[in-house]
Amino acid sequence: MTRIADIPIPPETVAAAQAGDESAIEAVYRATAGPLYTLLRRLVRRPAIAEELLQETFVDVLQHIGAYEGRCPLPAWIRSLAVNRALMYLRSPWHRSLEWLDKDPGGADRLPARELPGGDESGLERALMTLPAISRAVVWLHDVEGFTHAEIGYALRRTPSFSKSQLARSHARLRDLLRGQAAIEEAAPCTPN
Amino acid sequence: MHAELNEWSRRLAALAEFEAPAAGWQGVLDARRQRDLRVSRRLPLAAAAAVLAIAAGLGWWLQSAQRDLERGFADEAGPVALASDSVLAENERLERLLASLPERQTMRGSTAFTVAELEDRLAALDDRLSRVTQEPNAPERAERLWRQRVGLMHSLVQVRYADSAGTY
Repeated sequence: MTRIADIPIPPETVAAAQAGDESAIEAVYRATAGPLYTLLRRLVRRPAIAEELLQETFVDVLQHIGAYEGRCPLPAWIRSLAVNRALMYLRSPWHRSLEWLDKDPGGADRLPARELPGGDESGLERALMTLPAISRAVVWLHDVEGFTHAEIGYALRRTPSFSKSQLARSHARLRDLLRGQAAIEEAAPCTPN
Repeated sequence: MHAELNEWSRRLAALAEFEAPAAGWQGVLDARRQRDLRVSRRLPLAAAAAVLAIAAGLGWWLQSAQRDLERGFADEAGPVALASDSVLAENERLERLLASLPERQTMRGSTAFTVAELEDRLAALDDRLSRVTQEPNAPERAERLWRQRVGLMHSLVQVRYADSAGTY
């Protein structure tokens, strides 16, 4: 999986986008939509919310592209908008009011199979989805997107230490969950049909 | 430790990507139209809510200032310490009050907008307060920030209380 910040965008497309050319911004959308949507799905989990956040992120891009000064790659700037939107959602009363659904045992696994991507690591995928939203955000931003603890702490309005302890606890939790899944899979062949 | 972190990074990065939403770019353009519509509808409501919240905050601040004046600043403990104590105590009282209000499953859009706005401003203030000790004139700045925080908390409690009572 390519890190969003490393997605190549031709300089002339970036320049045209900065000038407000909507077709250039559309080209940037086509290049980054998949990875950004994946990032949002890891953070907020619900497909409809992730889709809405992706659209809102690009509405932000359309409206505020003038604020992009070129100090970092354009995809990295858009990623920061998406992460801010997702974290704002996680802090919102709407999300808090839906949290009870996520706490429902088995709720995390109720996503239809077609809504989960394929791959050999489906156990890890499921384990990741059972983590609380903030823990999942810390894991994904640090391990996949390469955020530092200071950056995560700033984004979450917490301290870098909070990010470090969340990461350590989440890794331990993931290890436990994966061990549990492996035990179930080992026992499965012995289960009578 | 590093090897373990790298291993997690490798495994997580190897997870398959989700496919981008089918609505594609057209979905973005539709979302922009929706936002423009929402803004044009919501602006008067948001303005009214903001005026209410500011008025409530200002009312509390004026009352607090009047109490400070009546108490007099000539107290031996010094004005800053006294005011800080009262502001901190008021802040704590409002936090308790807020925690005691019921969380509603549904909320009017304009109310949710105001609550989110106030919560964001509180979070921004908390962030500044966490760094204020490194700034010059830290005590005066901290005092001012705490007063602003109490004002915002007061507004938030008012809005949440009115919402829970169904009068907002």
